[in-house]
Amino acid sequence: MVDFAPVKALFFRWRVLMLLFFLFASLLMIQPSFFTEGVAIRSIEKESPAALAGMHSPYAKDKPMFREVITSLNGQPITSLDDYAVAVSSLQEGELVRLETLSRYAYEGGTRSLHMLRQEMLYSLYYNETTGLGIEVYDAPTSNLKKGLDLQGGTRVLLEPETEVSPDDMDIVIQNLQQRLNVYGLTDLVITEAKDLNGAQFILVEIAGVTKNEVQELIGTQGKFEAKVANQTVFSGGEDVASVCRSADCSFVVDPQRPCQGSVGAGYYCTFSFAITLSQVAAERQAAVTADIPLSTDGGGSYLAADLDLYLDDVLVDTLKIGADLKGRAVTEISISGPGVGATYEEAVQNSALNMKKLQTLLITGSLPVKLTIVKVDSISPAVGEEFVKNVLSVILYAILAVGIVLGIRYRHVSILGLIMATMLSEIFIILGFAAFIGWNIDLAAIAGILVAVGTGVDDQIVITDEVYGRKKMARHLSWKDKLKRAFFIIMAAYLTTVVAMLPLFWAGAGALKGFALTSILGVTIGVFITRPAYAVAVEAVLKEEGDE
Amino acid sequence: MLESFQSYVDKAKHFYETKYIFFLFLTSFILFAAFAQIAWQYHTTGDFLNKGVSLKGGATVTIPGYYDALGLDTMLAASYQGYDLSVRELRGSSGAQSGVIVDIDIVDQETLQSFVSQLSSETGISDEMMSIETFGSRLSDDFFSQLLIGLLIAFLFMGCVVFLYFKDFIPSIAVMLAAGSDIIITLAIINILEIKLSTAGIAAFLMLIGYSVDTDILLTIRVLKQKEDGNLNERIYGSFKTGGLMTFTAIVAVGTVLVFTNSDILFQIMLILFIGLFVDIMTTWVQNVSILRWYLRDKEGAH
Repeated sequence: MVDFAPVKALFFRWRVLMLLFFLFASLLMIQPSFFTEGVAIRSIEKESPAALAGMHSPYAKDKPMFREVITSLNGQPITSLDDYAVAVSSLQEGELVRLETLSRYAYEGGTRSLHMLRQEMLYSLYYNETTGLGIEVYDAPTSNLKKGLDLQGGTRVLLEPETEVSPDDMDIVIQNLQQRLNVYGLTDLVITEAKDLNGAQFILVEIAGVTKNEVQELIGTQGKFEAKVANQTVFSGGEDVASVCRSADCSFVVDPQRPCQGSVGAGYYCTFSFAITLSQVAAERQAAVTADIPLSTDGGGSYLAADLDLYLDDVLVDTLKIGADLKGRAVTEISISGPGVGATYEEAVQNSALNMKKLQTLLITGSLPVKLTIVKVDSISPAVGEEFVKNVLSVILYAILAVGIVLGIRYRHVSILGLIMATMLSEIFIILGFAAFIGWNIDLAAIAGILVAVGTGVDDQIVITDEVYGRKKMARHLSWKDKLKRAFFIIMAAYLTTVVAMLPLFWAGAGALKGFALTSILGVTIGVFITRPAYAVAVEAVLKEEGDE
Repeated sequence: MLESFQSYVDKAKHFYETKYIFFLFLTSFILFAAFAQIAWQYHTTGDFLNKGVSLKGGATVTIPGYYDALGLDTMLAASYQGYDLSVRELRGSSGAQSGVIVDIDIVDQETLQSFVSQLSSETGISDEMMSIETFGSRLSDDFFSQLLIGLLIAFLFMGCVVFLYFKDFIPSIAVMLAAGSDIIITLAIINILEIKLSTAGIAAFLMLIGYSVDTDILLTIRVLKQKEDGNLNERIYGSFKTGGLMTFTAIVAVGTVLVFTNSDILFQIMLILFIGLFVDIMTTWVQNVSILRWYLRDKEGAH
């Protein structure tokens, strides 16, 4: 008779419970789906037929599986990008287009709400030949894992400087663009200098996970920030700004003194604000300008007659009143503010946050030494493609099998072998779960990092297994606890050494190896603290069970 | 017959157990030779490794129209062997394919012209319709110097952690030296094989740190800290049983991927690991063991 009691008891050991908890959490995070339908919406252009029909762009932070998916167009089912392209190409000017979508979000009045299950939506649009439908689409995601530029593709932008740029200025332009695009956080991008055969200069940008509009807004502008009082520039972005506050205590997405305003019909308006420190030179320049400005007659003379106007690329962004006590004083601490608008309250707050981040970046980097014009914007397929991903999955499976055969021959123990295999797979799964949770892009470097983690994982399991099972004769006098202590002494040393070796790589090469360093650190950490302790407990249970027999 | 075989094994074992000075010289010589190869590479090509299109830059040709990117890739790869090339699809905002982009590490005008005319005859698109640009490295100019600094700091940190564990300089340096030698010797072999490295290849070299550290830490702890396992040789052989299995398992896994993959990038990563793991056998079980034997020569009489 088979006795299940030890197995049952095993499930209630806390190390095993913790592993099960993380496996379940990872499943929720990744949300793998085996059937995908339609094409996902990346963005909806403002004022386009789609926007007029009531369609909304997803928020930047929305998880991939929460994105709205187009499933049919005029009754024709859409299952791929090609289907969609064919369906759109046959549309006529002014034609009524009926779009069916699946959406997790519903918009009612000014708020967006999340549904447990996807809802079917129906939109009626009128096709416009010059603007199209105003929908940017991509292949529907099959899980919450975001793939990087080399696995998923992205946007490719060719930029041309307006005038010839010296190599030094080109370096500044490239660094500046890099910083600006990092506003979106965990995206991967490649910026290179290019030349055509006539020697004309170009800058080539490839970026994943950002819409064309966002790219155009961020890199198609010079980013010239100026603060003017009575039409005289008192300071501008870059050199005049000594530091920009980005922490929560001095930067506010919604200015506490100016709460968001608006209504369901008219839309919402929020104001962000953050503190900056001016250089002494800029502060004195401001003092010289404000010294000549009289006090305002209305408002009891508590403000100056001229305001501080903030311009971005010659467009007025915001106007601030200058307190009377600041007149003629070289103040270095200054508060900067700007707007965020949206159809819903949430959207206005989101935009306020994004605008604030952009403005902060521009104040730090200053303007580009030259104006760039966008020559063309394309979506680009990945360097390695779908075939590659399929191939990677199958060969990793073969590799795991091969490891199984080697360890099977060495240990000749089915339960131990099963546990090793299960530990390896759960390690991969939990790493992916974390990646989905933090929105990390899985690119080639990240896959390499995962392979390091799994490889050292097998190493550690061999150390544990040899200690408690393989080297029975050698350390017979030791207790279980001591054997595991010996094993984990080695494991911890190897772990700490690997982690400290990976840390500097996080920053090396302007973060080019960030993905690799992060996934390997994350992977070995998950392994050492979650999966391998559970493996040790499970092996102990299996072997003790046998010892009793 | 069997007896004589046994006596050979015994002789080899005796040699391995006693001649650590010889092995120290041998491994130093191999490391020196690897350095020499890398210096030679730098002297002749101006780079200490063979850079592929993603590291070196090259030309990018954009062809408008609808093509099978994979088919074009296979065809071009056949006629431009030895070049590093990639073909990607371009899509407009409606989602329809609008063209393909071919990246190739050609820098001189003449080769580029003949490449473009071949593309033109294959696709039926005149070369005026294509846009041709040359581009630089996808990594910034100071990437390699930054990487080198990063690696130096990484090794320094590693040395510190190992030192905290063993409170002794020699074993700490031995672990760092083993991981460092592994990378350097593997790089020299990759250079000799004339493999053009991509950015993913760089990551593969860094992966070696993880694998190398595992076996070296195992060896050092078993030899220095777990003396209850027997005399020096018993501890070395005991750790080899575990560590050898670790490396062997990794070699089998990497070898499997190497055989079954059809991706150039994955092949390159795995080839580097495959070579590196074999080098790791030497740096751990010959180099590091010899250093530990030499270090313990007076403390333990286990010759």
